[in-house]
Amino acid sequence: MSDIEHTEDTIPFYPDHVRTEFYVVLGVLAVVLVIAIAGLIKPVGIGEPADPLNTPLHVKPEWYFLALYQILKKIPPMILGIEGKIIGVVIPIVLVALIFIWPFLDNRPDKSKRAILIRLAFAIFAIITIIALTIWGEVS
Amino acid sequence: MRFFSLKRFGLFVMLVVALGLLVFITTHARADTPQAADPSIPALSPNWQLADIDASPPQLVATPPPPSQDTCLSCHISGQNKGIWTPLARWTLFGTLGLFFVFGVYRSANTWVTRSPWKPFTNRAAEWVDDRYQVSAPLTKILNKPVPKYALRWWYCLGGITAFLFVVQGITGILLAFYYKPTPEAAYASIQYIETQVYFGSAIRAIHHWCANGMIVVCVAHMLRVFIMGAYKKPRELNWVSGALLLVLTLVFGFTGYLLPWDQRAFWATTVGSEIAGAIPAIGNLALVFLRVGWNVTGETLSRFYALHIIIVPLATVVFMFAHFLMIRRQGIAKPL
Repeated sequence: MSDIEHTEDTIPFYPDHVRTEFYVVLGVLAVVLVIAIAGLIKPVGIGEPADPLNTPLHVKPEWYFLALYQILKKIPPMILGIEGKIIGVVIPIVLVALIFIWPFLDNRPDKSKRAILIRLAFAIFAIITIIALTIWGEVS
Repeated sequence: MRFFSLKRFGLFVMLVVALGLLVFITTHARADTPQAADPSIPALSPNWQLADIDASPPQLVATPPPPSQDTCLSCHISGQNKGIWTPLARWTLFGTLGLFFVFGVYRSANTWVTRSPWKPFTNRAAEWVDDRYQVSAPLTKILNKPVPKYALRWWYCLGGITAFLFVVQGITGILLAFYYKPTPEAAYASIQYIETQVYFGSAIRAIHHWCANGMIVVCVAHMLRVFIMGAYKKPRELNWVSGALLLVLTLVFGFTGYLLPWDQRAFWATTVGSEIAGAIPAIGNLALVFLRVGWNVTGETLSRFYALHIIIVPLATVVFMFAHFLMIRRQGIAKPL
């Protein structure tokens, strides 16, 4: 494995690469410190205690599940004779399964600029869709 | 001379950390409380005359400390009675000097007795370990492995940042677990206790809260980078699969951790979330009952989520992270175009 890479421009893992990673870690640590000071000034806080008998008006999951939740909320109750809720749950599961097996579907060793641009466009499209759904879920 | 140096930035960050710690220790760790004024002595007015002092001489006499209070050795050592700095500085200064002195005596005597040059303790320890376990050869091989230069570009750091944030989450999570109580009666109060009573409790909870969100963002960014550059292709398919699994585990972390404060938001978000799981065809009810331990979100759900959040998911994450790193190590970093 390593004899292929001797021909290219390399740096030793230690100390060069480790040093760079250390600086990155220091940078992240600075951000963490800022968060800590912000937390001392303004704590994260906690809402009302849980009450199983009292459903609040706006029930929302965490922001990273908001897109999924918004799909489930806005999907029509019946599509092609199947209950819409089931479709809304099955589609994300299929998508996650697709992500898992993606390298086996797209396994041609294609290193062209065009393939990268297609993937970039697809990624931007997916991200914009998810962000739009999240914002929609947040404001609705 | 470069205007911006990463090294100086690192030093600056460390300085800021040290200063912040110093400020907080000096403002928070003071144990001496001001003495209450003795009500029997009338207070002196701000513009007093000499005659006033003649009228009430006891005011100017320094009151001696009460004679028979029980002695407190730990208070003396920690400096609770005199302010923390005096004894602490004394111990640090003279203790360090004393250690230097003892070391010097030992080193001189050792050089004299063995008639050979002094070898530092670190070298001796390394030799001792290497003599028994022969680690230096494989370790050198691991550390000297050449890394391609393009691995220093910033978008190759995203995975490393995710791993580091996982470590941050582990440390702050352990600190929170010292005070958190996973029962429906005590969970809410224990979070309030952490936020208001525990030293740096609100800071630790803020780090845990915001770094959890940040970890998901960085994780997705890392995944997008790999996807766009096509780094998942042969021979790195399993690396992609383990990475996707790690992302799912991160989301499970978020989902289970969200319930733990046991407030209205947490309770109803979990109710809705497990309802979504219940809508899966065929296995929906099974998933719902498994998540909630019954048909409703109760204290049993809280216990289960707590166990998932602090034991099972972290263990799985560590295992898959190890596999992820091992595969990167074997195959090297994918070449960019």
